[in-house]
Amino acid sequence: MYLTAYTVCHTVCFVQYEETMTLTENLFENLRLELRRGCLTLAVLLQLREEHYGYTLRKALAARGMEIDENTLYPLLRRLEAQGLLTSEWREEDKRNKRFYRLSAEGAPVLELLLAEWQSLNTAIETIRQQGKGE
Amino acid sequence: MESLEQYLEAVGRHLRGARRDDIVAELRANLEAQLDDKQAELGRLLTAKEMEDWLKQLGAPLQMAARYQAQRYLIGPEMFPIYWLVMERALGWAAMIYAIVSLVLLATGTPNAQAVVDALVRLPGVLLWVAAWVTLIFALIEYGSARDPQKWQGLAEHAASLPKIDLAQRERARRHGKHKRTFAHAVAEAVFGFLFLVWLLLIPQNPWLMMGPGAALWKASPYALAPAWITFYWWVVAAHAVQLAWLCVELARGTWQKKHGLRHAAVKAIELIPLNVLLYAPGRALLVLRNPLRDGAQLGATLSGWNEGLHKAILVIAVLVAAQIVWTLVNQVWMRGRDGAQ
Repeated sequence: MYLTAYTVCHTVCFVQYEETMTLTENLFENLRLELRRGCLTLAVLLQLREEHYGYTLRKALAARGMEIDENTLYPLLRRLEAQGLLTSEWREEDKRNKRFYRLSAEGAPVLELLLAEWQSLNTAIETIRQQGKGE
Repeated sequence: MESLEQYLEAVGRHLRGARRDDIVAELRANLEAQLDDKQAELGRLLTAKEMEDWLKQLGAPLQMAARYQAQRYLIGPEMFPIYWLVMERALGWAAMIYAIVSLVLLATGTPNAQAVVDALVRLPGVLLWVAAWVTLIFALIEYGSARDPQKWQGLAEHAASLPKIDLAQRERARRHGKHKRTFAHAVAEAVFGFLFLVWLLLIPQNPWLMMGPGAALWKASPYALAPAWITFYWWVVAAHAVQLAWLCVELARGTWQKKHGLRHAAVKAIELIPLNVLLYAPGRALLVLRNPLRDGAQLGATLSGWNEGLHKAILVIAVLVAAQIVWTLVNQVWMRGRDGAQ
């Protein structure tokens, strides 16, 4: 009963929130999410050159300006691990069992390639932007 | 803490498979650590209201669980254009076939307004069935492609990766009938093959599906089909079911592009079996009299003439099919020899 009420309440609140957004805000939000999606993977892989469990990874990324929701980050870690880019192990820390993630040996060269791609995209966007300013 | 447990339990209920407990345990560890941090920052426990707000922030349990699922759609964006194309065509054909069948039914029955209304009312149901089957087939293909993308690479071909057009080769292929089958073509073959099989299976109870208005005339005639036709019919059904199953296996394995000459010959060879059933029907009797005692004296000679004519016609068809098989085999041997020489 509580859960049904909770789900309905959440859905209604979410929809109402969506409805209060203007078309431009909505469009921007969609584009922003699209833009962020690939960047999140890159940020996570970069940060996991050091070992972290889910929550500390989230904090570390937030401290560097990359806020990620729990329901995005934790499933993302699972997917990246399933793809072989991360390795993980359960370990006890502060009397709690936690799953620690780290960039895998297979993930390291992929991260390098992604970084190169990221830099090339950045350069291209900057070049196009400067060109637009000059005209 | 109790509401966090409730939340985790609800997430677990929406998760499937062996990973469920592992995912929930990991989520618990992360959320508990986060909760500890929050409470340490405040210097007290969260109130019930604060706890509720925080859980709301995490998203509904169903949403949280859904994020952990690998595939959250029936038909993905790559497959969707082909699915849509096949769906449009299948629905178009189904509507046309249904319209023809309904018109025949209305023409052979007693046409009245209620029959027309009934036929129209049934149409959405028929179209829904076709749409459901097409969707099911594509959902299975999507599932297969998600599990083994290597086999389904052909689907992702785009202009840049398409092979260069060799006009001479294309002409040779045209002459030898060696075209590469497209995915849409293969799926359309499977969908229409399935519809054809359904049609075949409906014929014994509804002869008008094959004969149209002639079915009523045939029923009133003194002639009937010999038992050999029943064996023939089931062989035809079996042959078609085998072909359909073969095509489905090709789709599942991602090998629909190959159009095997040998397979073509094998299919033709299977077609010879039902023809042989008719050729070797006892006494070459393909038609019999419904009431031999009453009509035997009057129609016996005509019946023999009909049976003799039908036997000859089936013999000609069998010879043509056998010649096709030989032609296909010779062609295959010749092409393999030529490919080997190149």
